[in-house]
Amino acid sequence: MSEFKVHHSVSELMSLLGVKSGEVGAEVYTDMLLKNMTPYVTTQVSAHNAKRKIAEHTQSPEEFLQKYDELKAKNIRDLDSLVFLLSKLSDDEKTKSFLEKNALDRAAASGTTLSSHSNVLSQLPASGSKITQEELSQLRDKLLREASSTASHVGSDVLRKVMRDKHATRNVQLPPQPDWLFQRPHLTLDFVVGSQGQGDGNVVSLGTLPAALQEQAVIEDLFFCMEGIEGKYIHALTLKDRYGPREFTIDQSLDPSLRELVRRILPTCSNYSTVIRFVEVTPYHLQQTLGSSRLLHSQWNEPLSRHLPTPFLRDKISPTPSLHLMGELTLQKYWFYIQPTMRTLEILASVANAVNKGECIGGAVLSLLHEKTSSLIGDVKGQELCLYLTQAACVPYLEILEKWIYKGIVCDPYAEFLVEENETMSKEKLQEDFNDAYWDQHYSIRRERIPVFLEQVADKILNTGKYLNVVRLCGRDVKCPNAEEIVYTIKERQYVEHIERAYAFASKVLLELLMEEKELMGRLRSLKHYFLLDQGDFIGQLMDMTEEELKKTIDEIMPGRLETLLELALRTSTANADPYKDDLRVDLLPYDLITQMFKILTIDTKLEKDYRVDPVDLRLSGLEAFSFDYMVKWPVTLVLNRKSLTRYQMLFRHLFYCKHVERQLCNVWVSNKAAKMFTLQSTRWYAAAFALRQRMLNFVQNFMYYMMFEVVEPNWHDFEQNMNDVTTIDDVLAFHNDFLNSCLNDCMLTNPDLLKIVHKLMMVCVTYCNFMQRVTKTTDVDLEMSKLNFESTLQAAPTAKQRKQEPSFKKTTAKVVSEHVDQLTSSENFERTISKFDSNFSKLLVELLDKTMDYSTANCEHKLMNILYRLDFNGFYTEQLEAVAQERSMIEAAPPESEPGSSHSRPRSGRSTASST
Amino acid sequence: MPREIISLQLGQCGNQIGMEFWKQLCAEHGISPEGILEEYATEGTDRKDVFFYQADDEHYIPRAVLLDLEPRVINTIMNSPYSNLYNPENVFTAKHGGGAGNNWASGFAQGEKLYEEVFDIIDREADGSDSLEGFILCHSIAGGTGSGMGSYLLERLNDRFPKKLIQTYSVFPNQEETSDVVVQPYNSLLTLKRLTQNADCVVVLDNTALHRIAAERLHLETPNFAHINQLVSTVMSASTTTLRYPGYMNNDLIGLIASLIPTPRLHFLMTGYTPLATDSQTASVRKTTVLDVMRRLLQPKNMMVSTPVQRQANHCYISILNIIQGEVDPTQVHKSLQRIRERKLAQFIPWGPASIQVALSRKSPYIQSANRVSGLMMANHTSISSLFSRTLSQYDKLRKREAFLDQFKKTEMFKDNLDEFDASREVLQQLVEEYQAATKPDYISWGTQAGV
Repeated sequence: MSEFKVHHSVSELMSLLGVKSGEVGAEVYTDMLLKNMTPYVTTQVSAHNAKRKIAEHTQSPEEFLQKYDELKAKNIRDLDSLVFLLSKLSDDEKTKSFLEKNALDRAAASGTTLSSHSNVLSQLPASGSKITQEELSQLRDKLLREASSTASHVGSDVLRKVMRDKHATRNVQLPPQPDWLFQRPHLTLDFVVGSQGQGDGNVVSLGTLPAALQEQAVIEDLFFCMEGIEGKYIHALTLKDRYGPREFTIDQSLDPSLRELVRRILPTCSNYSTVIRFVEVTPYHLQQTLGSSRLLHSQWNEPLSRHLPTPFLRDKISPTPSLHLMGELTLQKYWFYIQPTMRTLEILASVANAVNKGECIGGAVLSLLHEKTSSLIGDVKGQELCLYLTQAACVPYLEILEKWIYKGIVCDPYAEFLVEENETMSKEKLQEDFNDAYWDQHYSIRRERIPVFLEQVADKILNTGKYLNVVRLCGRDVKCPNAEEIVYTIKERQYVEHIERAYAFASKVLLELLMEEKELMGRLRSLKHYFLLDQGDFIGQLMDMTEEELKKTIDEIMPGRLETLLELALRTSTANADPYKDDLRVDLLPYDLITQMFKILTIDTKLEKDYRVDPVDLRLSGLEAFSFDYMVKWPVTLVLNRKSLTRYQMLFRHLFYCKHVERQLCNVWVSNKAAKMFTLQSTRWYAAAFALRQRMLNFVQNFMYYMMFEVVEPNWHDFEQNMNDVTTIDDVLAFHNDFLNSCLNDCMLTNPDLLKIVHKLMMVCVTYCNFMQRVTKTTDVDLEMSKLNFESTLQAAPTAKQRKQEPSFKKTTAKVVSEHVDQLTSSENFERTISKFDSNFSKLLVELLDKTMDYSTANCEHKLMNILYRLDFNGFYTEQLEAVAQERSMIEAAPPESEPGSSHSRPRSGRSTASST
Repeated sequence: MPREIISLQLGQCGNQIGMEFWKQLCAEHGISPEGILEEYATEGTDRKDVFFYQADDEHYIPRAVLLDLEPRVINTIMNSPYSNLYNPENVFTAKHGGGAGNNWASGFAQGEKLYEEVFDIIDREADGSDSLEGFILCHSIAGGTGSGMGSYLLERLNDRFPKKLIQTYSVFPNQEETSDVVVQPYNSLLTLKRLTQNADCVVVLDNTALHRIAAERLHLETPNFAHINQLVSTVMSASTTTLRYPGYMNNDLIGLIASLIPTPRLHFLMTGYTPLATDSQTASVRKTTVLDVMRRLLQPKNMMVSTPVQRQANHCYISILNIIQGEVDPTQVHKSLQRIRERKLAQFIPWGPASIQVALSRKSPYIQSANRVSGLMMANHTSISSLFSRTLSQYDKLRKREAFLDQFKKTEMFKDNLDEFDASREVLQQLVEEYQAATKPDYISWGTQAGV
């Protein structure tokens, strides 16, 4: 069962039980359950013990046991695990009292009263109201897991479905039984009751005959009864219900000893009747298959009945007519002779009864037969018979199975196969829909349809066909080289081997298709080049070229132009060597990364609404909206579906923005490099600004180093290693998911607190850059002006002379510029702004480091700790960090009133207040 | 649209190391001495266009300008197998061929005269690139052409391309040998002023250290220029490897040097390289894990700059960038950094955050090397100032005696006065002081105090 299903069940259960999802979310339980999940197989013993325990606890043990047997007879799946859970529950006082309270609350709310808890417990599984039934099934689901004792597949929804199936009509359209089947009572090999005229003159009252004749007459009657014809003295009674046992009346005047014997023989006749009735509802298939409609019992009840033809029965039942004719047959002898037949018919009748009672179809019938077969161990003949029946009954099912695991096709007109196709899922949606679950839901297992003997391999069966199906959808024909016929045997090994071989083949074929023909690894590597910036020259080039365009707001940008620039950047950088480069596209998203991340991260939390309303923000710049997209074709879409592409996009935008900030800081560096020519006096104003720039650059670069070399690259490394010995596409999916998740996680994208701080830090850097660029621009203008002035004075002079004058010119310009800078910077404004930037940046960075430390110690995420090492390699921030920690401990110690005061008087390092006059 | 870099090689030394540099680049990119891409190298995912451009005939031509005032070294190049590599229009020797006579002033003055011709070439190269990122200048600071003409070029480049980066690979003279160039301190001082004011990043290649390394590390009895130049070309090619083999980061010059140089004047970088091995003993058996490489890079004996150990001075690293090449497990990087931090193997500035940045880079697939991992360190260390102090004291000695000034006085610049010497001395003195201030926590406010 997938994590999501469990999560869903848990949260539903919590809401049903009225648990507030305040402190501990459903995630916690889900995690716990997933961790504790162990396959549990109910043994006869444990089920029996559980049954006994409940019976002891309940006030009405008989009712319970009766109900249990009834359900058991109906072959209800998961009955034993339910009973086991209930027995566990009855031990657990705490849960019991909680449930009791809950049930009472609920009952009070709905107006009904429930007498007592134990009553509820014992009654619920069978006859509770609809609501409680579901509730219980949910409860059961959760608690079963908690007790670490569940089969991994048992889910509440499954149980609910079973229940519903029992009550509601089946969704499969089986043709109704034709009326004439019941209107023409003589068209049967069963007893025809009441048609014989009662006043048959030839019937002599038995009592008047001598014992020997009585015996002969009864034997003759029995012969008839064995063939479904009423005798003279043994009459069949009208059936109470259609599948009930047939009962007989025996002439009262029969000799008591004989009557006793006859009574012992008669159940065989009754069994005969049951079997015949069971058989007779199906013979019509012989005519009906041609017209392609069927009767009540579907495909594999048909062979079951076909293999019970009457001649077969007759041979078995009446071995001794010749003896009878010779008059040497006594009732005792007859009794002796029909012994084996009795046993056979008994088994057959019990099968027929079970099928009828449980209204079994499909897998359930097979399960039932399988269990019957296994239970007859020791009874060689009986087992042989059952094996024969099971084998025959399995044929159509196994044919479907073969078609599925060898060809990947579901051919299942009556919805009996364990795999179900969901045709609403289209593979094209994989590319567009973020939440598309094509792979998970296009084909799914219907648990209630699995024959028990295929239970263990059900998942393998599902996957085998799924894989082949993908290959087929790629337009390739698949031929499984070892497509052997699957035959039911009592020993599992044989067909399991076939299935395993088919599974191995299917996964190999699909994996080869993806990895070799569709070159999945190459594609992923190409994605890494673009989305994870592993080819820096390409990104640099693209940023150079799109710089102007991306400065505009999103609705001013021409996507076509961006596409062209992208194309150009691809062709002129090392990306040109990538064969998949043409699949890269530009995407402008209507929200920036932070909004997107918070939207996702705040789902299911209180903050959800804060990020909900966000109509297209027209002021979004191209830079914030920019992202790549990648054209993926089937079947690579299985791996690179919208969901994983979106995650690639998130990573990309995060990295891209960092890169952008780095470039901005580098630009400031370039425009400030002229400062080295200024006089010392003017530089000093810059010193604080330079130091701050350096700290920002140090932060941004180290942050990027961390993300690229400590997160992406090692994770990729692991991923590639894993991919080397991957065997199935599901492994590929899992590894790829892991890769993306751990990247997102370690890049702080999944942590709203950290992400917010990082984002703010970046914003401070960008504003700082803009400010510095503005300052330099004014000095630049100044410089140009003075140059112009200078040149105009020398206009007439030849260039050679001009050059000679240059030293003096340079001196003047340098003077002008430095004067200007002096003016600008000494105007207090500059200084103050820089120190404001400085304190802002320091505060945020220390906060980030502090939070990181908290998180990495709290969640044992050692990766995050690495960033601490990087950013504070020489211990520059250590002091400030300690100050923060100290302050926090002070706040914690101090009464809350003092809080606002202390947060203002946070001790700040003397260094950050750089320039003082 | 690559971020092109034009390299200028000046004078005897500059052209020699330049030639070695281009040899190395050709080998790494699989380009033949004639400039044709080798068969095996056509599929590469390297960036050749940062340093080369393609002529119409599939010919890769270096963005290099070869300048000298005397023809000797350039003639050697033009007679070597690599003669067809360069664009002949970019090779310039002064017509008189007399050189600069190891005189800075002469070189400077000649540079002035040749301005038009030289800048024709440079402008043409600059126009031929889409988004020129900057220049690399190879020269020595002690001779005449490299120092004098180099200084002139630096000034003009700065005027002409104020937004372009200028990085120099400057060879500093060997202090342990008595030089045949007696005016070396004069030349050095005057050049250092330009390097301080007009270059954005100076990679200091100290001949003293290079000789020591050649002798000690490579076990050469008498290291010759070929060995030294090989060391230099190794450093040069390694320091540009992230530009040519792009990875996640540091794929342009600015990204490489911006974080190394926090304040604009402190831009003199030291380099270190490991493992060093000449052809004769490639089979050195040593562990080459990332940690080993990084640890060795921090050892002074691997530095290409020799600075006396001054314990009291508290010299420290302003910044470090390690470029690690080869097959590296990225998880090792963090562990190594952690170890270095724990053991305090490197002393950092107290006035700002500083760390060892590690750039992982691919290696050329065409060059076989015995080492799995190799590393280059580019470091901004305050002890580089001792080099300048040394120059200052040597200059002061000469200047006190007014020695060898006649040659300078003959030139235009010095014919009236020696103000330029004093100005240069002041600039250099200030640089030394700034480096010393950078070892203190209050460096940021240092300018303020000095100014008041």
